[in-house]
Amino acid sequence: MSNAYLADAAKRLAQAFIVILLAYVLTFVVVSILPGDPITNVLRDPQNGFSEDEIKAIIAAQGLDQPIPVQLWTSLSHFVIGDFGLSMRSSRPVATLIAEVLPSTLILASAAFAIALLLAMTIAYGTQFIPKQLGQGLLRGFPSFFLSVPNFVIGLMLIHVFGFQLGLFRVIAPNSFWATFFAAVALGIPVSARIAEVLIANLDKESEQEYAAVARGRGLTQMRLFAKHLLKPSSLPVVTVIALAIGELLGGSLITETVFGRTGIGSLVQRSVSTQDLPVLQAVVSLAAVVFVLVNLIADLVYPLLDPRVKLVDGPRERPSTADDSATAKSAAVTS
Amino acid sequence: MTLASFSSASRVTSIGRQTALRVAPTVALSFAVIAIVIAWSVAPSLFTGHSPIVGVPADKLLSPSTAHWFGTDHLGRDLYTRVVYGTASSVTSALIAVVIAAVAGGLIGLLAGFLGGRVDIVLARLVDVLLAIPNFLLAVIVVTALGFDTTNAAIATGVSAVAVFARVMRAEVIKTRQAIFVEAAFLLGGSRWHILLRHVLPNASRSVLPLAVLQFGLSILVIASLAFLGYGDPPPASDWGLLISIGKDYLKWPWLVYAPAFVTIATVLSVNRISRWLRKTD
Repeated sequence: MSNAYLADAAKRLAQAFIVILLAYVLTFVVVSILPGDPITNVLRDPQNGFSEDEIKAIIAAQGLDQPIPVQLWTSLSHFVIGDFGLSMRSSRPVATLIAEVLPSTLILASAAFAIALLLAMTIAYGTQFIPKQLGQGLLRGFPSFFLSVPNFVIGLMLIHVFGFQLGLFRVIAPNSFWATFFAAVALGIPVSARIAEVLIANLDKESEQEYAAVARGRGLTQMRLFAKHLLKPSSLPVVTVIALAIGELLGGSLITETVFGRTGIGSLVQRSVSTQDLPVLQAVVSLAAVVFVLVNLIADLVYPLLDPRVKLVDGPRERPSTADDSATAKSAAVTS
Repeated sequence: MTLASFSSASRVTSIGRQTALRVAPTVALSFAVIAIVIAWSVAPSLFTGHSPIVGVPADKLLSPSTAHWFGTDHLGRDLYTRVVYGTASSVTSALIAVVIAAVAGGLIGLLAGFLGGRVDIVLARLVDVLLAIPNFLLAVIVVTALGFDTTNAAIATGVSAVAVFARVMRAEVIKTRQAIFVEAAFLLGGSRWHILLRHVLPNASRSVLPLAVLQFGLSILVIASLAFLGYGDPPPASDWGLLISIGKDYLKWPWLVYAPAFVTIATVLSVNRISRWLRKTD
């Protein structure tokens, strides 16, 4: 915890804050400037039966008659103090709508995350112990296979096999234990594939290092070599992947909740998309960005503490694990 | 100069010949799968005698057989035919997405890496912001803003992948810029733009190719997910994701899900395998 570290950490924090604000602005620009006018589409939909005066009142209440920069400024200043405005559809506070469905998504996502981590470690560590003849190739094929499967297909397969054929759970009771469990498995498998991919690559890299050869020469068994030498250095870069996987969990919950008929952030987004409820979408996307940036910031800050070889360098996300890093790190050091 | 370029050219061809002889069986299989997929999308009518739209109600929900390879759907349409006819749209939209992502992302990365300084700082922040929004959510809001159809879903998917290309391109450009032959070109008095187009761009874009291929597979998955949620063309279109989405309501006849899913998975697996092969042979 040197002074340099703290100074860098403070700088990172400021950068993260700016990125979050810009992400909000970007979302705002995307939903308000792109062609297509959802506001009039929805409000003037004869099914809703609004009169002209009511439409005017709603537009005025939402501040939609203001020029776009003014709207942006108003909503951004509200966003900073945690006010997400009112849903265009139900006129209830967006924050309430999100708070209602958040617990369900949190349960699903954390279960999926635990399953993903467990599965990834089992597979990656398995490749170190299972001999080539006994299906090591199968384990190694796991990540690339499941990265090629659409995640809703995994969900449908689970429903078909365990729900329909084996009758283990009922799809019409989406909050039962088994339904939640299989939804979490469906959401977790693609994430676990990504983590396992990195873990396996790291393990292979470490076991080719000279110190591993020396240890083998000293007569260490594979088990001891793994536990004493390979485990720690190969697991550290996974911190980065885990941080990136959070985004995937958020995006994937949209699909998984639809497949399993659960309520949650995903189904809220789904509903808001079909009714073009922009304030809700804006809030969810911005919150996702906040979560993503914060998790990555934490990973960035924790990493040098876990691995003393790594220094916190200035610039966007520089860690030893990803392929394009060394070049980017160099340039970041040069340019800033 | 001539000598150098001559020797490198001959080296490239000799490597090309060696790898052409030593292609792993899985790679050959992957190319075969992709060839079939391309053939399906170019001339679907050559591969099936049925119509993708007209069904025979008496033949609904038949299981797979020699007459109907993938069985028939709830309206008695031949599922294999629907998959074949849906290929063009599924593949083209993924292609659109990759082109958008590679061109826009490549341009951002090229400018950021080559110009450096303030341009780099501004563009790097933009890329950070794009990365901060989970890909799939970004694609969803873009397609919401654009309107629901398959082309828009493709555009949205492309936009959500711009950041990845920008980062890789930038890193490659910076690496190439520091190469000795680029320095030599500067010393010989080459102009910035000449060097950028003649030397940096061709070299830096070489590693973008495997990424583009990988992204193609990923785009198929993302577009299928968007179609699954109903953000693509509505039926009777038969995009793979849409077919699976229709099949989910008929899980008692599981081939309606498994057959289009199998085709999607085989395609994406093949694409990924080819991408890995390209990266290794590069």
